[in-house]
Amino acid sequence: MTTMTAAEAGLLPCHACHLLHRPSQVAHGLVCVRCSATLHLRKPDSITRVWAFLIAAYILYVPANVLPVMETGSLFGSQTDTIMSGVVYLWTSGSWPLAVIVFVASILVPGAKLIALTVLLISVQRSSTWRPHDRGRLYRIVELVGRWSMLDIYVAAILTALVQFKSLATIRAGPGAIAFGAVVVLTMFAAEAFDPRLIWDPVRRHHAAHTD
Amino acid sequence: MLRTPIDPGISDIPEAAVEQKRGWTVSLVWLIPAVAVVIGGWLAVKAIQDRGPTITITFKTAEGLEADKTKIKYKNVDVGVVKQIAISADRTRVVVTAELVKQAAPYLVEDTRFWVVSAHIAAGGVSGLGTLFSGAYIGVDIGKSSKRQQQFTGLEVAPVVGADLPGRQFVLRGPELGSLEIGSPVYFRRVQVGRVLAHELERDGTAVTVKIFVDAPYDQYVNPNTRFWNASGIDVIADATGVKIHTQSVVALLLGGIAFETPADSSVVQPADEQHVFPLFPDHSQAMKRPDVEVVPFTMYFSETLRGLSVGAAVDYSGVPIGEVKSIGAEFDPATTAIRIPVEVALYPERLRSMSRETVAKPTPAERKARLDGLVEAGLRAQLRTGSLLTNQLYVALDFFPNAPKAKIDWTKTPPELPTIHGGLQELQATLGNIAVKIEKLPLDQVAMDLRQALQSLNRTLQSADVLVKRLDTELVPVAREALEESRRTLKTTERTLNTDGPLQQDLRGALRELTRAAQSLRVLGDYLASHPEAVLLGKKRE
Amino acid sequence: MTSLIACHECDLLNRETVIPPGGKACCRRCGALLYRRTRNSLDRTLAFTLGAAVLMVVANLFPIVELDAQGHRTSTTLFGSVRTLYDDEMRSVATLVFATTILMPALETGAMIYMLLPLKLGWVPKRLPAMFRLVQTVRPWSMVEVFMLGTLVSLAKLEHLAHVVPGVALWSFGALMVLMAAAAASFDAHELWARVEATGRRAPRFSMAASNGEAAR
Repeated sequence: MTTMTAAEAGLLPCHACHLLHRPSQVAHGLVCVRCSATLHLRKPDSITRVWAFLIAAYILYVPANVLPVMETGSLFGSQTDTIMSGVVYLWTSGSWPLAVIVFVASILVPGAKLIALTVLLISVQRSSTWRPHDRGRLYRIVELVGRWSMLDIYVAAILTALVQFKSLATIRAGPGAIAFGAVVVLTMFAAEAFDPRLIWDPVRRHHAAHTD
Repeated sequence: MLRTPIDPGISDIPEAAVEQKRGWTVSLVWLIPAVAVVIGGWLAVKAIQDRGPTITITFKTAEGLEADKTKIKYKNVDVGVVKQIAISADRTRVVVTAELVKQAAPYLVEDTRFWVVSAHIAAGGVSGLGTLFSGAYIGVDIGKSSKRQQQFTGLEVAPVVGADLPGRQFVLRGPELGSLEIGSPVYFRRVQVGRVLAHELERDGTAVTVKIFVDAPYDQYVNPNTRFWNASGIDVIADATGVKIHTQSVVALLLGGIAFETPADSSVVQPADEQHVFPLFPDHSQAMKRPDVEVVPFTMYFSETLRGLSVGAAVDYSGVPIGEVKSIGAEFDPATTAIRIPVEVALYPERLRSMSRETVAKPTPAERKARLDGLVEAGLRAQLRTGSLLTNQLYVALDFFPNAPKAKIDWTKTPPELPTIHGGLQELQATLGNIAVKIEKLPLDQVAMDLRQALQSLNRTLQSADVLVKRLDTELVPVAREALEESRRTLKTTERTLNTDGPLQQDLRGALRELTRAAQSLRVLGDYLASHPEAVLLGKKRE
Repeated sequence: MTSLIACHECDLLNRETVIPPGGKACCRRCGALLYRRTRNSLDRTLAFTLGAAVLMVVANLFPIVELDAQGHRTSTTLFGSVRTLYDDEMRSVATLVFATTILMPALETGAMIYMLLPLKLGWVPKRLPAMFRLVQTVRPWSMVEVFMLGTLVSLAKLEHLAHVVPGVALWSFGALMVLMAAAAASFDAHELWARVEATGRRAPRFSMAASNGEAAR
C-alpha cells in the first residue's frame, strides 16, 4: 500500500475549502479556484512566526501572573488580586470547584499551551520523528483548549462592570489583565501559525528513505 | 473512521450528487429560529410597553449626577434613572433627561419637585449619608396639582416641607430677620412644632417677610390673636425692673427660632387661615404686651438729672406699672433762659382697671379730670426713683407726698402737665432734719444733775471700806500665827515615823517576804495538779 | 470516480468516499477529521444561524445580570461591560472582549446567513468565497461559550457578596452558545460547495470554473 502526500504528488491543497489544485508555472500568488484563498504548500514561515509569537508570549507570561488582574476597592481599603491569589481566595473561601476551574483555565492551560507549543516547535525544527501521532494529538488538543484561557478575562470584565458601588465596593481590571489577554492572543496566533504537516514531513522522509 | 484504499493518480473531482431542495419544505429544525424570533419579539414588545415617560429636569450643576447610573427615588423607591446629561442651549443650566417607570406617569404634575440628594451638613443636622455608598440620587416630591408636565426645573436644595405633610403655612412680617434661616424651628410652649420655610426682604425694604410652616395638629393652636416673636438666641432685658434672660432652646440659640403664644384673655377660638399674616415681634415681652387702647398722655418736668431714664421706662403707681415713658425731649424756656427737659409719659388706666376685682366702668373724661385733680390735691406727685441698683435705671413713680408743696395739674398744656417732686436725695435731707429735731428735744440738764448725785454716794462707800480693813489687821493676825506653829510640830513627828529604817518598815518588809514564798508554793502545787489531777484523791506518789 | 482530499494535518492524500449522513471521515494516518456529513446540513445550519442571530440581538440589548447589594442595584449588558472596561483605561482588554464576544460571533453568524440564505432561496450570492474564508478565519475567535462560563464563575463569586439576579441576556447567551455550536457542527462545507455548483449551473452567470482542478491565478 503506497501512500502519498499532497506535497509528494505535487498538489496544492486549499487550507480553507480543502480543494486540491495542480500547480501551475507561477510559484507565487496562487489562489484557490473555489474560495480564492491563498494557496501554500506549507504555511509560510511557520517556524519563524511561531517562535516569534511564543517568545512574546513567554515574556508577557511573567507580568500576567505577577501583576494584579483585579483591583477591589472599598471604603475599607483596596486589595489587588493576581490570578494565583484569586484562585487561592476562591479555594480558602470554600468555593473550591470555582477555584479548580479558574486554576485550570487561567494557570494550567496557558502554561501547558506554551510548553506544548515549544515542544512541538523544537521537535519540528529538529526534524524529529518522535511519536508523530501523539504530537499530532497534542496539537489538536492545544488548538481546542486554547480559547478557554480567556475565562479570567471575561470574569474580570463582568465583575468590573457590575461591582460599581462607589464607596462600598468597586472593582477595576488591573494591568495583569492586559498582559494575560496578550498571552492568550499570542498563543492562539502561535497555534494558528503552526503547520502540523511539518510534524509528518520528517516521518515521511524517514519512511521514504528506509523503504527504498 | 473509514479506511479507504488510496489510488494515487486519480485526480478527478466527481460530480456532486446533491439533491436540490426546491421550495420551502418545513422541517422541525426551523422551529428553533422561529421560537427565537417569537421570544425576541415578545421581549421587545414588553420592553417598549414597560417603558415609562421621559422627562427633563434642569439644574444649576450636574454634580453627583451620572448618565445611566443616577437614580430617581421617591420615598426611597426607585422610580426612574438619569439617561442623559447635557448643557442647555444658553449655557446657564444643565439639562438632565431621565426615564421614569410606567407607574410614575401620574406623578408628573405641575408642582412636582426634583432635587439632588447628596451627603449634606446643614443647619438641623447631617443628611443623606447613604449617598456616600450609593452615589447621589434625585429625590422627588409629588405635587398635588392635576396639570401634567414633562419639563421641570430642579430645586437646588431639598424642600423643607414635603407637599404631603399635614399642617399650615403662615406669613410673618417683622422689622428684621434676626438670626433666622431656612429650617429654623418654630416653638410653642418650648416644643418644636414647625419650621421656617423661606424669608424675603420686602420690595420696599421696610420689613422682612418670613414664611413658616406649622405641623398638624399644632396648627390649630394658631388663631388670629396669636403673637409670634423672634426667639433666637438669648433675650437679655435689662431695665428698671432688673435683668431678665430668656431663651427657647439650645437649637434656637444656634439656629434662631420663632416662638408663639396666644394671650390668655383672647376670646377668639377659631384657628387662623392658611397664609394668614401675623406681625413678628422682636421678643416675648413686646409680643405679649397688650395693645393698650386707652392712652392718657402727660408731660412731666423734673428738676434733677435724667441720667438713667430711658424711653420705655415704666411709670408705677404704688409699684403697679400703669404707663411708660414715651419720649424725653428738650425745650428752651425763654422765660428762664434755661433748657428744660420734658418727659412725656403715657398712662394706661386700663391696666389698673383690669386688675380690680369689681368691674369698674370706664370714666368719662370729665370724671377722670376730677379724680386726678383730687389725687393731686391729696399729694400725688411724680418722682424719679432708682429701679435697680444693678442697672441704675430710673423709673417714674406716682406716689403721695403729704408734705409736698401745693401744685395742680396744668390741663391747658397738651399733653397736660403733672406736677413732680424731687427725688431721693431730698428725702434723705428730710430724714436727717427729723433726727436733729428729736435730739434737740432731749432733757440734757436733768441728766447732768443725776450724775453728780451718784458720784457723791460712791465716795462715802469707799471711806467706810477703809475703816474695816484697819480693824482686821490688829485683831485677826496673832491668832493666825499660833495656828501655824502647831501645824509645824505635827509635821515633824510624822516625818520620824516614816523613816526608812524604822521598826515599822522592817515589819512590813518581812510580811512581804512571807507572802511571796506562799505564792510560789501555791504555784508549784497548781502545776502538779494540772499534770496529775488524781493526786487530789490519791495523794502525791512516792518518786 | 473518487476525488482526493489532503489531510490538513499530515498532508496525506485520502480518497473521498460517500459516508452515511451523520458520519465523519478521518485521515487514515493521523486521524484528523477530514469532513463530515450531516443530515439536511444546509437547512439545519441556516435555521440554527438565524436563531443565533436573533438571540445575539436579544443578548446584547438586555442586561446579563443584576446585582443587588443592600438596596443598591447595578446591572450591565455585554456592551456596557465593554464600555466600562474601555472607560477604565483598559482599552486593549475592552477591545479583546468586544472582538471575541460581540464582533466575531456577529461576523460569523452574518457571513453564514449571507452564504446560506440565498442558496436556500436559489441563487449564489456574490463574494461567497470571501464570506467562506471569513467564516473559517473568524470561527476560532468566537468564544461565546467561554464567555458563558466566565459569567457563571463571576456570578458564583458574587453570590455571597450580594443578591444576584440573572438577566434575560444570560439565558439568551446560553441559548446562543448552544445554537452556534450546533450550527458549526451541522455545517458541511462539501454540501455547501456542491450546492453552490448546482445552483451555479442552473444560473450560469454564477459559475465556478473548478471542474479540472486547475490552479487559478
